Amino acid sequence: MTGKERIRTVLEHHEADRIAVDFGTTPVTGIHCKVVEALRKHYGLDDHPVYVHEPGQMLGYIEDDLAEALGTDTAGCFSPKNSIGVWNKDWKKYRMPWGQEVMLPARMVDSFTEKDGGLYSYPEGDKSLPPSCHMPERCYFFDSIERQQGEIDDDNLNVEDNLQEYGEIDDETLSYWKTVTDRAAKTGRAVVAGFGGMALGDVARIISPAIREPRGIRSVAEWYMSTVCRPDYIKELFDRISTLAVKNLEKIYSVVGDNVDVVYVCGADFGTQTSQFMSVDTLNDLYVPYYKRMNDWIHQNTTWNTFKHCCGAIYPLMDSLINAGFDIINPVQIAAKDMDPQRLKDEFGDRVTFWGGGVDTQKTLPFGTPAQVRDEVLKLCEIFSKDGGFVYNTVHNIQANVPVENVVALMDTLKEIRS
Amino acid sequence: MDKLYDAIFKGMAPLAKTAVLEALDNDKSPQDIIDESMIPAMEAIGQEFEAGNVFVPNLLLSARAMKSALEILKPLMMAGLTTTLGTVVIGTVKGDLHDIGKNLVASMLEGRGFKVINLGTDVSKERFIEAAKENNADIICLSALLTTTMDYMKEIVDAVRADGLDIKIMVGGAPLTQDFATSIGADGYSSNANEAVVVAKKLLS
Repeated sequence: MTGKERIRTVLEHHEADRIAVDFGTTPVTGIHCKVVEALRKHYGLDDHPVYVHEPGQMLGYIEDDLAEALGTDTAGCFSPKNSIGVWNKDWKKYRMPWGQEVMLPARMVDSFTEKDGGLYSYPEGDKSLPPSCHMPERCYFFDSIERQQGEIDDDNLNVEDNLQEYGEIDDETLSYWKTVTDRAAKTGRAVVAGFGGMALGDVARIISPAIREPRGIRSVAEWYMSTVCRPDYIKELFDRISTLAVKNLEKIYSVVGDNVDVVYVCGADFGTQTSQFMSVDTLNDLYVPYYKRMNDWIHQNTTWNTFKHCCGAIYPLMDSLINAGFDIINPVQIAAKDMDPQRLKDEFGDRVTFWGGGVDTQKTLPFGTPAQVRDEVLKLCEIFSKDGGFVYNTVHNIQANVPVENVVALMDTLKEIRS
Repeated sequence: MDKLYDAIFKGMAPLAKTAVLEALDNDKSPQDIIDESMIPAMEAIGQEFEAGNVFVPNLLLSARAMKSALEILKPLMMAGLTTTLGTVVIGTVKGDLHDIGKNLVASMLEGRGFKVINLGTDVSKERFIEAAKENNADIICLSALLTTTMDYMKEIVDAVRADGLDIKIMVGGAPLTQDFATSIGADGYSSNANEAVVVAKKLLS
């Protein structure tokens, strides 16, 4: 089977010739550049600085040679612009505070401000604006800086303000998507694309590090509170976003067609470690109708599968997410409350594909031994892979502090299972 | 007084402000307003959270309503709160900028009668120790969201112990567990903001 056939088979809830695997095709199934560098070294691949395509989380690009070494069945197509709104091109070498040389867009690198052992970056790399991201000393990521403009005036809230980052797709971007999906399809692996414009209430977007002068509700806490105290505003916003998204999807589909296998729809988290952020009723009322609008259009007009990222303890919300039309749930945070792998598989495994959940990244992978990693990978693959409906990935990205021997143990165990 | 309780429980900050002014007009003392309406409202919303009937956004709203009422009362209490349960120094540890959970814990502690010194994010061990001494604190609360920063908590615990401070240390944050808290020598751990109040009270009892 090709990677594409393998992914398609498990998405149809059949077992493939071996477990399907993804590493690095989305902002939530990736690997920190520090670990990417260590893996390249481990597999004896060409020694050059890792390209960082998503600087917020400092995710390293998994080039074809590493994808081959990892046995990845997927090829990622990323947004042309990174998280601060800079085009991922004109790469320039930069030494990060922990000493690693990486490649980042020159426009971003040239605008960095180094201060107190850390770094600041700016929307679109424009230093005349206040910084929108900060990487403090001892940190391996760029965290967004909240730029909420004053107190929210409920009497004058205008939904247009929270639509700043959404708009009709332009010809240059359409042409980009055609080029990258054509190229990805030629790899024979399943094509995973993050077209953007479909996120509903993803706080990583709400906080808006790419926007020059954010307006509307731009504080994370304020957004969460708004799900309780401003439901009408949220519904109006989601109605506008999902309507525009369908319009853009029509255009995108007309150029990329069925080259795409999986489309990343939304990364909004509805769970904390121990509970969800909202009741089932609130999710059904505020979010599901608008997710359904986008997912239904995709299912009625394309062969794409829809991918929903949602961290945390979301067991009570699973039915609603499936009913909203999502084919894929990620990251399957098995260490969160009530997220028992066997229970998830038994109750939802025939209706949704688990893309993730392959090893706990809060404890086992960063702090366990290689033997513990191996045991957990074996156990979880056995549970999740039965009858398909599973694409192997860790629970969220592999973080900077993970010992490379643990990642190698993970990869070796996968090879053993798949051989 | 029920109006203030309701406003805080339901998380309505403007109503809480009006209600606290009305209570003052009725000659209620600030301390009585806090003890009889505000703390019970925060306790009640915390219990609803524990029961799974409300969620983090509701806690955030109630905490904000409570703070807006407290801001009116604080200047009227020149000698400070007369019946605080203890003083807490709280912050997100160095290298970590995540503060929603930490701020919620701070608000819940304040809303239930603790004096809280919030040091913000990216806080060094030296700053925690300095603030604990300056404020004669009873508890240091450490927060971390990242697996890459939680190890710094051990450095802080070790530094506090080496300094000889007689103080309790609590830790919290998504990737933490009781086992981790125990392994670094922390005195307390909680998995959510409401439980943090219970743990803090227990540590000082």
